[in-house]
Amino acid sequence: MGESHSAATAVVPDSVLEEAAHWYALLRSGEATDAQRAEWGIWLDAHVAHQQAWTWVERIGQRFSPIQDSPNRESAIHTLQALDERGRKRRQLLLGLAAMGGAGALGYTAVCHSPLSGRLQARWADHTTATGELRDLNLPDGSRVWLNTGSALQQKFDMSLRRLQLHVGEAFIEVASDRQRPLIVHTEHGTVQALSTRFNIRIERRATLASVYQGAVKVNASASGRTQLVQAGEQLRFTRHDLHAPTVADLAREAWTRGVILAQDIPLSELVKELRRYRRGTLAVADEIAHLRVFGAFPVHDPEGALEMLSQALPVEVRRRWPGWVSIRPRSP
Amino acid sequence: MRALHAPDTLARLYGDHHSWLQGWLRRRLGNAVDAADLAQDAFVRLLARPRQFDSLPEARGYLRAMANGMCVDLWRRREIEQAWLDTLASQPEQALPSAEHQALVLEALHEIDAMLQQLSPRAARAFVLAVGCEMTDKEVASELGVSDRMVRKYVAQAMLHCLQLEARSIALPVEVAPLYGASRS
Repeated sequence: MGESHSAATAVVPDSVLEEAAHWYALLRSGEATDAQRAEWGIWLDAHVAHQQAWTWVERIGQRFSPIQDSPNRESAIHTLQALDERGRKRRQLLLGLAAMGGAGALGYTAVCHSPLSGRLQARWADHTTATGELRDLNLPDGSRVWLNTGSALQQKFDMSLRRLQLHVGEAFIEVASDRQRPLIVHTEHGTVQALSTRFNIRIERRATLASVYQGAVKVNASASGRTQLVQAGEQLRFTRHDLHAPTVADLAREAWTRGVILAQDIPLSELVKELRRYRRGTLAVADEIAHLRVFGAFPVHDPEGALEMLSQALPVEVRRRWPGWVSIRPRSP
Repeated sequence: MRALHAPDTLARLYGDHHSWLQGWLRRRLGNAVDAADLAQDAFVRLLARPRQFDSLPEARGYLRAMANGMCVDLWRRREIEQAWLDTLASQPEQALPSAEHQALVLEALHEIDAMLQQLSPRAARAFVLAVGCEMTDKEVASELGVSDRMVRKYVAQAMLHCLQLEARSIALPVEVAPLYGASRS
């Protein structure tokens, strides 16, 4: 086929479709490493047929976006299940087979009520932010909350307790003093209880990070029940079972409330990880440059501008294949 | 490229076959309004993907195959719509989405359903959860009670299937392959 970059649709062999499907499955799995993302970028650049296949991957993914963005997402998923089951029953009738046990038990139904699906519950939360969106909320008790990109926060206040549930994302909370009603933030990993204080809570892949900037908070791991006090200037990462040792509170975990992604001598790969939270699509960084140290304050509201700043400060080049799909690679000599 | 028929040919085709097709559809659907709509759609499709016929039976055979496909499609659409309404009705506490929003969701459901029909139920489920609910492999794995690796495999399998459909629908040169093959009845 050669390297013809004609405008016409490229002929794409089945083997390339297979490769594209495997890249897709890896990139969306939540398990892809930076090295793999970079490798994907190389694969993509290697041939016009790869790019053609990838535009189809994107098109297929986009068919789901009305459902992903719908407040009735669970219903839509239920509907697909119902259709799937009806279709299957009909096929079984046609084939004269007895109903198959087992398979039917694996419904989608469980998903919508499952405690583990934080992202699904997040759909019903009181306060949510889209990717790239930041919100500044005033709670009825006078507390102030900044909600970072892609976050969902539920508010359950009553006479004796002020409860917040952070389903996903990150929230910075400036707690209004109320000695009668403690404020407790729940995450899937445990709780953080505060009195008058300023602190940040961030849900990570496997843990919650609590960073305290004023006052103190008490952290409680939900499964083990272990607790620890975290003082101003400290931060502590915890899972359902474990509490890690407190470290110095990262200023970046406060800076985002002012619209700044703060990088203080961190590897480029770390900054890229952070930038990914604020934009849709894939952001890949090549291995050779992943370790480069970065200093700076990057605008939260303008991730594309942040990429531009990077390409000026570092010997890197930002390549945009399609909207949303970006790779950072060493600058060509 | 083969010469495509001029608009006046389509006009003649319309004159020759429209009322016959509409009658055929009415018998099949048992509904005059749907029949009129689909007959109209059939000719719009012919306009979009023009085609020449050498004889009257050939034209009718083609139109019948196409109309049959459209009936199946319409029934499936109705079924999807009903399933969607049933689901909404079973969750009364849920705010009813706007008509515009419903139309978007229904269209998406239809497209996804069409993509996944030939797929194994498990792969289809894994794919819908992974992509529709934006879940990680781990989350899907624990929902379906399979391993992470299996989820990755299902997702790749489903995506490959969709890609093949996509490639086929685009690669079909208009003048060689009809919208609905003669073998499909």
